[in-house]
Amino acid sequence: MMKKILVIEDNPMVIKSLEFKLTKDGNNVMVAHDGREAMKLLKENEFDLILTDLMLPFVTGNELISYIKKNTPNTPIIVLSTSTQENIIMDAFNMGVDDFITKPFSPNELSLRVKRLLNKN
Amino acid sequence: MKTLHNSPRDHATILLVESDASECEKFTQIALNENWFLIVCQDGIEAIQWLNDNSTADLFIIEENSSPISGYQIADYIKNELGLALPVIITTGEIPVVQERRVLAYAEGIIKKPFVAASTILQIRETLEKSIEIAPEKNDYYSLNYLNDLSGGDEEFIMELLKVFSASVNSELKNLNEGLTQKDYLRIREIAHGIKPSFDMIENEKGKGICRLLDSAVDERDVPKLIEELNLEFANINKQLINDFPELNLK
Repeated sequence: MMKKILVIEDNPMVIKSLEFKLTKDGNNVMVAHDGREAMKLLKENEFDLILTDLMLPFVTGNELISYIKKNTPNTPIIVLSTSTQENIIMDAFNMGVDDFITKPFSPNELSLRVKRLLNKN
Repeated sequence: MKTLHNSPRDHATILLVESDASECEKFTQIALNENWFLIVCQDGIEAIQWLNDNSTADLFIIEENSSPISGYQIADYIKNELGLALPVIITTGEIPVVQERRVLAYAEGIIKKPFVAASTILQIRETLEKSIEIAPEKNDYYSLNYLNDLSGGDEEFIMELLKVFSASVNSELKNLNEGLTQKDYLRIREIAHGIKPSFDMIENEKGKGICRLLDSAVDERDVPKLIEELNLEFANINKQLINDFPELNLK
C-alpha cells in the first residue's frame, strides 16, 4: 500500500526534487508551501510521514512541530535543514522530531531515512 | 551539455541566412525531415538582429555572398564580436581550392549550392558532431551532476528543474532587491536562506557562498555589494543556460 507523505517546503526546486524522488520510491506525496497550508492539509488528511523545513512563511518551525505533535503524535517527522541551522535542529529534536536531512539531500540517503521511519511505524 | 540529447541531430537549432527563396524552401524541407528547428534570415543584418535579440543557435549556415554583410563578416561577428564558440557553415555556389581555404578560415564547413539533401545533411551532421565533441563538459556557472544523480539521468526532469531554477531564483532576486531598497535585512536574510539550496543543486559555489553570507550575521554595509554580486552570478548562470538549452525558452 502506498504511504502518504506530506512535504512542507517553500523552495520550488527542493519541492520538485522531493516529489520526484519520493514518488519514484512508490509514495503518495502532498505538498504544503507554507505553515498555514500545512495545517490545513493536516486537518483534512492523515499522513504516514512528514518532511518539513523549519523556516517557513506564516508559521515558525517550532509552532508547526508543536501543532503536529499535538494533533498527530504518532506521525514521524523528518526535518529538512541546511547545515547552518545546528541550534535550530537541536531544538527540533528536543521537541520530538525523528530525523533530519540536509538540503540539498542525497537521493539514496533520503530513500533510506524515509523507508526506515515508514517501516518503524 | 548537449550530451543530454540522444543524438546531436535531434532538435538542433539552425540559423540559416539565405536570400534565394527556392533554396530556402529546399533547406526548410530538409530541416523539417531531420527534425531541426530552423530560423531563416534573408540577409546578414536580419541574422545579427536575431542574434542580438534572442538566444543562440546550435549551428549557423550562412550564404557566402550575403548582402549587405558577407558570410565571412557575419561569421567573424558571431565568433569575435559576440564571442559565440558555435559552428558556422558557409554555403557557396562553387568550391575551388583557394575559396575552400578562405571559407575554412572563418567557418567549420562548406555546403555547395544548390542544396542537395544527402550531402547537406551529411555536412550538417558532421559539423554538429564535431562541435559537440569539442564542447566543454563543464562550465563555470553550473553543473548537472546533482540533478543527474537525483533523477537517474531523467532528461525531462532535469529540464523542468532548470526552468524552475531560472524562474524561481529570478523572482526571489527581485524580492531581494526590493528588500534592499527597504533596508529590510531580516527579509533579505530569509530570502537568501531560501534560495541557497537552488544554487547548491546546480553546484554553483559562488551563488551558494553569497547566500550563506547574506544568511549570516554579515555587516549591513556589505549587503548591497553581495546582492549585486548575486544578481550578476545569476545573470551569468541564466545566460549560460539560455545558450546551452535554447529549447527551454528561458528569459
